[in-house]
Amino acid sequence: MREFLSGSFSLLFRVFVIVVPIMVFLELFEGTRPFRAIVRGWSRLIGRWLGMDAETAAPTLVGFLFGLAYGGAVIVRDTRRHKLGRRQVFLMSVFLSMVHAIVEDSLIFISLGAGAFWVVVYRTGWAALVTVILGAVGTAAVRRWGPGGTAGH
Amino acid sequence: MPKDIDSSAAPPGLRARLRRDIVLGLKAGVGTFWQLSRFMIPAYGIALVLEELGVIDVLARAAAPVMSVLGLPGEAAVPLVVGYVLNIYAAVGAMEALSLSSTQITVLAVAMLIGHNLIVEGAVLYRAGMNGLAFGVLRALVGLAAAAVANLLMGVF
Repeated sequence: MREFLSGSFSLLFRVFVIVVPIMVFLELFEGTRPFRAIVRGWSRLIGRWLGMDAETAAPTLVGFLFGLAYGGAVIVRDTRRHKLGRRQVFLMSVFLSMVHAIVEDSLIFISLGAGAFWVVVYRTGWAALVTVILGAVGTAAVRRWGPGGTAGH
Repeated sequence: MPKDIDSSAAPPGLRARLRRDIVLGLKAGVGTFWQLSRFMIPAYGIALVLEELGVIDVLARAAAPVMSVLGLPGEAAVPLVVGYVLNIYAAVGAMEALSLSSTQITVLAVAMLIGHNLIVEGAVLYRAGMNGLAFGVLRALVGLAAAAVANLLMGVF
């Protein structure tokens, strides 16, 4: 019981020290010019490497930064609004399912002693790799069997 | 994303804006902290109880071959499975009950960060028109593969 209490306390303390400053930081910089410039740069980057449209890039960034639930909500909305193709939604889902809430989730593990490079850069690299591979598989499937329901799987 | 929320409105004083943003951030931070605690602390308690009861030892023996590929002790399967089923905060709680080296924490973090909360997040993906189950399997497998490669690479460097 003593182990539970002291362990809980140190766990809560570490998480508190990490999470609260992040939220303040995001609130301060969300609407600023550099932040928007990042969105533009991001859109070019993932358009080029992962084959995503400009319309897909924005919800992907939201999910990447803040979490799959937020990104997912934007995905659902934009799928209807911009009539995002099934391929675009598929690419975005593959990528985001593996890296989302990059700041918050990563920092929780970094605060516990995990290597920052591995949980941020290395992990994002794997997500991008799998997205590119599955995108190519989808393209090959469409070429072979036509644009049926198999394109996404 | 909505643009120009701040720039189009009449700009209040910088100091007032800073204060408002900091208060909003503190509120969001404390709210998130509370959400996390609600999952983490019970999971931490459950993990400690399972350990007392010897359940972790049983699971550990079953999963040891897989975990040893990742350079992890068998009982590391517990936070991994807890993460798959529940979420990352519960997984962190369960991980706290073990004593791991920083390399092992990193390897486990890679696996858990790629695959976690598969039920809830699978539902989100399903809502976007994807196969939530297939994505769960994909994430678990890719997470294990990435963790295994990370373990090898960290042994080299």
